[in-house]
Amino acid sequence: MEKHEGFMKALKCRECGREYPLAATHVCEFDFGPLEVAYDYDRIKKSLTRAAIEKRPQTMWRYRELLPIAGEPTVGFQVGFTPLVKADRLAKRLGIRELWIKNDTVNYPTLSFKDRVVSVALSRARELGFKVVACASTGNLANSVAANAAAAGLKSFVFIPSDLEQGKVINSLVYGANVIGIKGHYDEVNRLCAEIAGKFGWAFVNVNMRPYYAEGSKSMGFEIVEQLGWRAPQHTVVPMASGSLLTKIHKSYQEFMKLGIIPESRYHVHGAQATGCSPISVAQKAGLDFFKPVKPNTIAKSLAIGTPADGFYALKVMKETGAVAEDVSDDELREGIKLLAEYEGIFAETAGGVTVGVAKKLIASGRIPADDSVVLCITGNGLKTLDAVVGHTGRAREIKPSLREFEALINAEGELSAAI
Amino acid sequence: MAHAPKKTKPAAKAAKNGARPQQTRLWLMYPPKLITRPIIWELGHKFAVSTNVRQASVTDEIGIVCLELDGEREQIKAAIAWLEKLGVNVEPVEINVIES
Repeated sequence: MEKHEGFMKALKCRECGREYPLAATHVCEFDFGPLEVAYDYDRIKKSLTRAAIEKRPQTMWRYRELLPIAGEPTVGFQVGFTPLVKADRLAKRLGIRELWIKNDTVNYPTLSFKDRVVSVALSRARELGFKVVACASTGNLANSVAANAAAAGLKSFVFIPSDLEQGKVINSLVYGANVIGIKGHYDEVNRLCAEIAGKFGWAFVNVNMRPYYAEGSKSMGFEIVEQLGWRAPQHTVVPMASGSLLTKIHKSYQEFMKLGIIPESRYHVHGAQATGCSPISVAQKAGLDFFKPVKPNTIAKSLAIGTPADGFYALKVMKETGAVAEDVSDDELREGIKLLAEYEGIFAETAGGVTVGVAKKLIASGRIPADDSVVLCITGNGLKTLDAVVGHTGRAREIKPSLREFEALINAEGELSAAI
Repeated sequence: MAHAPKKTKPAAKAAKNGARPQQTRLWLMYPPKLITRPIIWELGHKFAVSTNVRQASVTDEIGIVCLELDGEREQIKAAIAWLEKLGVNVEPVEINVIES
């Protein structure tokens, strides 16, 4: 079975452990469990050291041995190594000793963490000989597939629900992607996309390429560790949609410890959801090891997955790391967006507001102790979800082109005169 | 909970009718009120599909079944619509294909 490709050994079922060749496949034929990439850690240990990593270009590919491609990356050379910002002003506001923002709002090229997973999936797709790539998405993933495919000269198909906002559609169309809007209820659209993925011989990044695609998220965790000075943070707060990112952040810390790149230490990976779509958070708080599907009703569209594919595994990780999940209302997440913007100058999309809002709750309730250190994973740029904050920010004052009017305005508004 | 229907051989029947048989893999999630009902047995009798349970977990809170359906496309679609009408959550084996 084992035919090594790069540092990969095989695809392995997360349920029964059966192994499969390193092809474009994602489900165990025996129990339909999801497949995951298995690596040859003994070989990786000989090649991947702190010194080796530090000599390499500052992109996500500096951890290349732990990413699932056989040769050199061919898509997304510039992706990753986003800033880890020490957020002292926000730390003080939230009442925590040390706070860091892993800022993927500026990830290249489409301003979300999805560029990490997509560049891995597309690099691997090319290795496997695919000429056409595809995805089903309501936002960030579609933009990333469209852009990265365009840059790599691959043809792309993006499937979206037909009622998606125009702005999000244009963000994919502009790259020349074939965008297909599907009419119908979310569940029907979801099943049709699965069917299309099965029928056409394309690299569907989050279906048949999923074992490779999902591994790209680990790069966010590797970077956090390196940028913190080669240590795992005591607490990481991660937004949960399917739950995949949380499991991969955990895996990244585990792999660095297993390879001896960082010492073993105790850490907690907490999960954040919006209350209007919180199947994983509700389950964690109830002490369950499974979730119940929900119908999403939240402005945090990028987290609105009512039946999260990795929900079960995310719950397991939180249990293993002594972590918790929490959720916040739409008002609380808007406040989170504003806190991050006003205290750190970072404008995040709704998922970022959820992460900040949940961190605030966990700190206030002592579940994250005030003396500890926290990293917040901020996964997408606020310019993508302007609708979420329209009408909830301050307003622009209007005056005629007159100095007298401006002075009158300053005198009339205490807030403005205080700023002088 | 799981019984293959005795009376039908959907793949053969579909081929005879000129319709193309297909295989569909699904996750079913049942609310507590449906856990005691033999839904998969009923499904196998109502529709010309064969049912094959590949993984299952049933608790007081939820029933989760990974099911393979074999049959003509229209029969499978009708079976899924029937399950959804009953209140069963029906997802493809990948669960959430649409991401943000």
